[in-house]
Amino acid sequence: MASLISCPHCGTRAKEEFFIRGDATPVRPAPMAGDDMWNDYVHVRANPRGRIREYWQHVAGCRRWLVVERDNFTHEVFSVSDAAAGRGGER
Amino acid sequence: MAYDYQAVHALDGMIGAISERRVNHLAAHRTTAIAMVLAAPGQTAEAAGILVANGEFEARFSGPGEWLVLSEVHAPETLAAELGLRLGHFAFVADQSHGRVALTLSGPDATRILANGIAVDLHPDAFPVGRAANVLCNHLSVNLARTGETSFDLVVMRSFADALVGDLKVMARSFDLSVDFATR
Ligand SMILES: [Zn+2]
Repeated sequence: MASLISCPHCGTRAKEEFFIRGDATPVRPAPMAGDDMWNDYVHVRANPRGRIREYWQHVAGCRRWLVVERDNFTHEVFSVSDAAAGRGGER
Repeated sequence: MAYDYQAVHALDGMIGAISERRVNHLAAHRTTAIAMVLAAPGQTAEAAGILVANGEFEARFSGPGEWLVLSEVHAPETLAAELGLRLGHFAFVADQSHGRVALTLSGPDATRILANGIAVDLHPDAFPVGRAANVLCNHLSVNLARTGETSFDLVVMRSFADALVGDLKVMARSFDLSVDFATR
């Protein structure tokens, strides 16, 4: 597991300051989407090896949800960004 | 029916009555006015400007658009109302005066004591005077602020204050540290 995460708000911190909140790739379906789409969104995960996108929450720091792009095999971290920034959010 | 409420400090009975003050000293503040300020969506710059422009309180970075505000001038009872008045619709204010405990660690070994539990570079170039950050101290999240070259403020949630003081005592085992309430 990557041991250092560079939070865009707090700087480089140890992984112990974060909670991993899961896969950041599934896109939330429309409210009236079919049950099979909602089932896939809620329950089905690909579990790939290699480069992945994950939600990491900086619980002991700024408490923001971040998107960490990393390799779960080599531990290399490619990018860390605020989850709201990717959706045109404020902060 | 009316009730009388009595404010009890989270560290009452846990610390105090020291015989001598050592070179490194941890002081717990009895009454510090503290409030959390969260900027309204899109109003971070406006809220920051109002907080920075005033010498009556000190705004410490907590997260983007979020500050822990401490004041030596305003009373715990009035700080939140005062901030609410000045910030208007630019931010939301929540009084934390009795919800958090403020501690000051000072002395020549302050950074070395903190380094035993905090994994953040505390060299003055990386963490200069005036810088503040939420950091993990062992297993507790605290707001750490550098107030001088060898002095730091730690603000922690009230119920964790006893545990944090205990942790700091362990972190300072190879240094000379005394712990007491601040005298003002
Ligand atoms: Zn952060």
